[in-house]
Amino acid sequence: MTNLHIRWGGVCIVATVLIVLTYHHYRDNLASLAPRQVKQEAPAGDIRVLGMVQGGTLETHGVGKAAFTLLGESASLPVQYEGPPPDNLRELKVLILIGRWNAATQIFEARDIGIVPNYGFIAGAYLLGLLPLALLLFAMNRRVHCLYEEIKASKLYEEE
Amino acid sequence: MTIHRVIRKVQRFEGWFGGGAVLCLIAGLYLGLIGSPPDYYQGEVVRIMYIHVPLAHTSLLGYTVLAVGSLWYLWKRDPIVDNMCQAVAALSAVFTALALGTGMIWGKPTWDTWWTWDARLTSFTVLLLILIGYLMLRTFVDDPEKEARYGAILAIVGFVDLPIIHFSVEWWRTLHQPQSISMRGVSISSGLLVPLLFMSVGMSLLFSYMLMVRTQLLYLDRLLHAKKGRLLSQFHLSKSDS
Repeated sequence: MTNLHIRWGGVCIVATVLIVLTYHHYRDNLASLAPRQVKQEAPAGDIRVLGMVQGGTLETHGVGKAAFTLLGESASLPVQYEGPPPDNLRELKVLILIGRWNAATQIFEARDIGIVPNYGFIAGAYLLGLLPLALLLFAMNRRVHCLYEEIKASKLYEEE
Repeated sequence: MTIHRVIRKVQRFEGWFGGGAVLCLIAGLYLGLIGSPPDYYQGEVVRIMYIHVPLAHTSLLGYTVLAVGSLWYLWKRDPIVDNMCQAVAALSAVFTALALGTGMIWGKPTWDTWWTWDARLTSFTVLLLILIGYLMLRTFVDDPEKEARYGAILAIVGFVDLPIIHFSVEWWRTLHQPQSISMRGVSISSGLLVPLLFMSVGMSLLFSYMLMVRTQLLYLDRLLHAKKGRLLSQFHLSKSDS
């Protein structure tokens, strides 16, 4: 095993550890339910619901309080929000709501609002930015190694 | 101190550049992907900044090295500097293309379009075209001295694009956001700034390391060809003598 392989083996291990750590960090944020699933399954505890704020339904009741209807996959969900003043709450905007489903009142009680994370774009950008550089550097390192070997094998390094 | 000595001294620390790049990039990736908060407006997608901005900065740094190296070559006619210029042009072209690619990916969720003829994007594309033109020009000329001279002139003329790229967001009303770090101060929070700095330093060190490896590669390639050519001509001469 040459130094080249040891060095690049290390890079591969570090990259794998970073990918696993990042996946674990965002694993909880990757899963979300649609309004239809919330109504059908009535899950208990805190859940994340993905949908669009229906136009003409947003009503604000003071700072950090709002009521609206969330649309998604041909189902709608009445929502009551109470929490920090939301920056991104607008009609026709796709949002992630965090809160719990109240089966008795049939209202989703949201306590936090976030925008859709777009992890696909982030992963795509990092792959496009780093993978070609790593491949190019590996190819160059290998070529330098091969050139040295070729020069040694052909004894061209000796004075002619 | 001659440029040869400087290059030799820097080459001695090649491993340090590679190691430093790996450490800074690991820290930058960890802080950028896990440790830093999402932006209040862009949300998680702001994390693309940590890869896009360092790539763009490094490609501009690379072109500056190419322009300075080309000036030096025209002054001293040093073939080692020309070797470095050829290496830096290819790497800058790769970094510029990747900066444009990651910028397009960032543009889709934030501007709702992959591409727009914005002043910053257009001037950056011109930079990529200049670099591709430089590399193509070098393949069209047979005489190595002329090849190096024409390439150096093109690189120096093309340098005019760098201030246009830098000031494009101030001279024209553009979709591209203005600079967050400038002489007027820093307009992003420290939570976002620290990973950006780590990634920028890491990317610059990686570029320097790649430049050293590529310069070495071109040098060895030329050395091998020259020696093979000399041996071949000696062989032919001995045959014709006998």
